[in-house]
Amino acid sequence: MPIDWIYGFLGGLLIGGSATLFLLFNGRVMGVSGILGGLVDGTGWRDWAERAAFLAGTVALPAVVVPRLWATETHITDNYLVIIAAGLLVGVGTRLANGCTSGHGVCGISRLSLRGIVATVFYILAGGLMLAFMRHVLGVI
Amino acid sequence: MARLFLSLLSGAIFGLGLAISGMTDTTKVQGWLDVFGHWDPTLAFVMGGAILPMAVAWQVSERMFHPVLGGAFPERPKREVGPNIVIGSVLFGMGWALAGLCPGPALASLSWGGVGGAVFLLAMLAGMLAAPPIRARIDRLTLKRSSMDIRALTPDYAVSPQIDPSDLAAIKAAGFTTIIDNRPDGEIPDSLQAERMRLAAEALGLTFVSNPVTPGMFTDQVIETQRKAVENSSGPVFAYCASGNRSSCVWALMNAGAKPLEELVGAPARFGYNLTPLVPMIEARARR
Repeated sequence: MPIDWIYGFLGGLLIGGSATLFLLFNGRVMGVSGILGGLVDGTGWRDWAERAAFLAGTVALPAVVVPRLWATETHITDNYLVIIAAGLLVGVGTRLANGCTSGHGVCGISRLSLRGIVATVFYILAGGLMLAFMRHVLGVI
Repeated sequence: MARLFLSLLSGAIFGLGLAISGMTDTTKVQGWLDVFGHWDPTLAFVMGGAILPMAVAWQVSERMFHPVLGGAFPERPKREVGPNIVIGSVLFGMGWALAGLCPGPALASLSWGGVGGAVFLLAMLAGMLAAPPIRARIDRLTLKRSSMDIRALTPDYAVSPQIDPSDLAAIKAAGFTTIIDNRPDGEIPDSLQAERMRLAAEALGLTFVSNPVTPGMFTDQVIETQRKAVENSSGPVFAYCASGNRSSCVWALMNAGAKPLEELVGAPARFGYNLTPLVPMIEARARR
């Protein structure tokens, strides 16, 4: 579906653009799990306001704009056991790894950081295997 | 105020980008991971689109003294890849596949993601809260297998090649209470000098004794200082120099006459330290 790819690329440019702003103006790496995780475990309370402002923007603008322009279906599973397991894994995993798709993926790879590249390879490999197992072997998702 | 506004703006553009790119639709993420089913390459386009401007931004940041709003740019990332990165990324990848959400899209779609999206976010916050103790555990397990090499001559006295301040936590965890530095500061870079080590060791509650030994110069004063440090220690002693050889020699000399010669030479020999040239000196001290 090439139209999806074009939207994907345009959205990607916006994501990279926001990371660029955050880096060049505030001197910060735009990694969502780090920004949020630092507020959760207390390691980032020193600059809590900056973190909170970023997160507020992430939630608020899509909330106002997106429902007027695009479909807002997330197609998330209704199996709450799966959702809770997934959330726990994402929370623990991103904090252990010190980054997620935005920090390791976008900001790390663009800097040719070995850690970012290794992390991205591992989470995509693990994700691919998990999906194959849960969807094509167990048929759960 | 400017920093807060830029943070808000950056977060807002980020959220919009996620929504436009389709990353808030879990089927797109799961489609990217579904190599054996209906594979959807959209995520690659999103990643590519995001990496392009950021690659330029990193280059630009190299040519700037500091960020526009002050402060400093992030340090260059370390080259080493620890076990936490691999273990964490594997767990994250599994969760990512299960629900098709990662932290950014989970936030961006919070307002329309329904109960499922909110439950995911809450579980994710709980996971983040649980992570620090798990990380500490992984650190402890892997530290013991680090390059550091504890060579116990007796249950109460171990020697080692030069250590780094970051090794001290593992040494403490292994039960040692006193660290003896047998290496003169002249041999080593600033970061490993006795005062640096002392600060790091005492911060952990370890006793630190500096007793520098010039190679081959086993003076009475050196031997007495070592003996006192061992006697005064509340627990096992960890002594280091460049290779551990000098720390072994001083140990053999201070125990001359108190332990059999075979043990004084044999225990260090197990770790490759050859104390045979020292035998006449050990025997001379034993006769005193």
